[in-house]
Amino acid sequence: MKISRRNFLKGSATTLFLAGFNFPVLANTIKKKNLVIIMLRGGMDGLCAVPIIGDKNFEKRRKDLILDETIKLNSDFALHPKLKNFYNLWQNNLGAIVHATNIPYTKRSHFDGQNLMETGGHIPYAIKTGWLGRGMKLGELKGDGLALSLPMPLLLRGIPSNDNFYPSKKRLPRTELLQLLKSVYADKSEHDLANMMEIIANRSMMSSGGTSMSRKNSSLAYKAGLELKKINGPRVAVFEVDGFDTHAAQGGVNGSHSDSLIEMDSIFKSLEKGLGNEIENTLVLTLTEFGRTIEQNGGRGTEHGYGSAIFMAGGLLKKSQVYTDWPGLKKKELFEGRDLNSTTDARSVYASAMSTVFDIDFNRIQKEVFWGDKLQNLSEKLFKS
Amino acid sequence: MKNFYRKVAFGLGPKDKVPSDPLKWATSQLNEIPEFSWKGKILPEKELRNYYRDYVYGDRKVLRKKFKNDKDGYKREKNKLRHVTGQKFWWNLELCIRHSEALKSETPVLAKLWYFWGNHFAISEKDFLAQYTTGAYQREVIRANMNQNFEKMVQEATVAWTMIHHLDNNDNVGPKSQEAQWAKEKGRKVGVNENHARELLELHTVSPDCGYTQEDVIQMAYVMSGWRPNWGKKRLETGDVHFNGEYHQPGTKRILGKKYKSGRKSLSAVITDLVNHPSCREFIAMKLCRYFITDNPTKEMMEPIIKAWEKSDGFLPDVHKAAVEVAFNYSEKYNKFQNPENWLLIMSKMSDVELVPTPKLMDLYTLGLKPTHEQRSLEYLLRELGHHPYLAKQPNGWSDVSDDWMSPELLIRRLVYAKEAYYKKNRKSQTNEFYEEMVEKNYDNPNEILKTINQQGDLSNRHVMLFNLPETLKS
Repeated sequence: MKISRRNFLKGSATTLFLAGFNFPVLANTIKKKNLVIIMLRGGMDGLCAVPIIGDKNFEKRRKDLILDETIKLNSDFALHPKLKNFYNLWQNNLGAIVHATNIPYTKRSHFDGQNLMETGGHIPYAIKTGWLGRGMKLGELKGDGLALSLPMPLLLRGIPSNDNFYPSKKRLPRTELLQLLKSVYADKSEHDLANMMEIIANRSMMSSGGTSMSRKNSSLAYKAGLELKKINGPRVAVFEVDGFDTHAAQGGVNGSHSDSLIEMDSIFKSLEKGLGNEIENTLVLTLTEFGRTIEQNGGRGTEHGYGSAIFMAGGLLKKSQVYTDWPGLKKKELFEGRDLNSTTDARSVYASAMSTVFDIDFNRIQKEVFWGDKLQNLSEKLFKS
Repeated sequence: MKNFYRKVAFGLGPKDKVPSDPLKWATSQLNEIPEFSWKGKILPEKELRNYYRDYVYGDRKVLRKKFKNDKDGYKREKNKLRHVTGQKFWWNLELCIRHSEALKSETPVLAKLWYFWGNHFAISEKDFLAQYTTGAYQREVIRANMNQNFEKMVQEATVAWTMIHHLDNNDNVGPKSQEAQWAKEKGRKVGVNENHARELLELHTVSPDCGYTQEDVIQMAYVMSGWRPNWGKKRLETGDVHFNGEYHQPGTKRILGKKYKSGRKSLSAVITDLVNHPSCREFIAMKLCRYFITDNPTKEMMEPIIKAWEKSDGFLPDVHKAAVEVAFNYSEKYNKFQNPENWLLIMSKMSDVELVPTPKLMDLYTLGLKPTHEQRSLEYLLRELGHHPYLAKQPNGWSDVSDDWMSPELLIRRLVYAKEAYYKKNRKSQTNEFYEEMVEKNYDNPNEILKTINQQGDLSNRHVMLFNLPETLKS
């Protein structure tokens, strides 16, 4: 079967129309909306997670990695059979996919690529803040970020006082000591340290201590869901899933790429559980540095590629759909003759998501977060306002 | 100036004399590679790799077949196999050896540079390398070459078994090689794997600043094709690395504009050219400055290191001395945020924490048993601090930029484990006098520091304060 080029995501007249004007934002100030980003490190294989149906080029090049028993999403695309929780969301109009998309990075280094997926920039290591942090700054969301990992991801940098949670098994020192350290930091103009200590001191006052929590992404996601649900809780959460770099033994349904996808899927489930009804006011998006080559390599794995897919979940989605301007998989349609092309700048999706969730005019985000780069406003197509 | 002792080493311990010439004290540690100060057992990498072999063979070829239909039995037997092959013990022993160099040796400056190079040629989390061979690789390939030219370190690290396995070069097969032909006849497909080639360029030598292209990476992968472990039925992938011409891509390769003939010698020839590329010395000089001095090194800082490199043809003792001297000259102006492991060692050294289990305790370990809590303490602690040197997330190692270490959880760990460490000190060092003397010896503003920490009544809290003051976190 040959599917034709589609134009789901082509051109957005509003971008041009609004350019240069600073319209007052129609914010719904009562509703608290949340944005969750799941970073998929190592290069998520969009063609493994959301394979195209009945494409001979694909089947020929991926002989050993074609999955059995995929879940059919529509006439063109299927879903990896292990993504059961995502499929559940999909069936309830709470799940959607953007396919053939990537950040505008066409080389194949994880480190450069991951740096750029977090900064949103063009030159690796040139920008020291993350696009999400800058977007939050624009939305004046200081203290509203929560990372579910031990280091603070670059993605959230650009706004101070973010929290992270990855439970320690020991008791904190007394609040008084923490307050003293905070004042020492402040006196020495160590503002970052002072901000951190403020968060720690608050946590020490809140926590009863003693109970140790699991650090699995599924437990962290439940906890994050509970926090996001609170009216005065964080509005942004960031997860990390590793292990997508499957150069070898990528395997089929039970291979190593599946393990990482299953971990991602468990986050969807636990977030939904923790959020309860607030899933309606939440948007979850995945982010990766690049896709993987169409062709399998000698070790039944895949190499670093280009175009991938974005998983989206939550009640702020318009509907369940695979949005794509599908580039095709014939040799001449591939990027550098080997990778799925990217027809949508992934940053358009993230900029639109921030515009929707943070109630900021898209053009301001485009201008102030992404340096005026040419991005499409997809807010109306993908998300509820 | 006293921060210099913490900047290039781990501060001065209670038994250390205050050096009359700090710079000389530091540079004189860099000429030779002394014996390890660890007095317990030290195993060669090859022997540890045999344990790795026994584990993968036992798991893949024996247990998986035997317990095909018995998930619980499989789990139980696999656990036994872990202990029979020392999976939870060896990396703890390696950390004892590693940390003794910082805490007990006469050459702590060399130790701090050893950690730098181990992280430069990082082995990140993959399979069970960390548990079996990463520590030994850092001893035998990295440290052993710290009195050699940089080139020799690159040559050896590139074909080290741990590195080859880590970066998938065993899957890198020339598409026109003999092996590819055979595979094709059998209906199998093999091909190039760029991973190792890319990291050799990007992380280990010239860095992307030199402007190589995707084609250069592929050509580099062709050069590297054939460098793989000697495969055996019983050894699986754990045999020694050798050059197997049957996997090598024939024909001339072209990297950064230069041609290389096909064959075994081409990898070494390319490495020689890479280490002599100006981008390579600039990259290493920048990284050394970033490690010791500041997140944002200046051209002026890098200059003397690059000069020393050019003058000595990349002779590492000279490069190291230049870096240490620059760190000395900038010690008043810059303080470098210490990563969690170096911070832990600074605290342990200055305040006399018995961090490392004794050789006697470690040598009591018997294969087959689960190591005790004490025997496993270092590995656990580093993981909790968020900085296990053998478990970097990616081949670019752990970050040496302070922002990456700045988060509530990471700082919480420093608070709670500073407290834990206090109780690991012997009684004699749990006195006010001890702390006064230590602060006097190690800080330029002792009165201010003592005044601050003495606001806490309890000595253990003063200890927590001291090691979380800006002066200690940033040295």
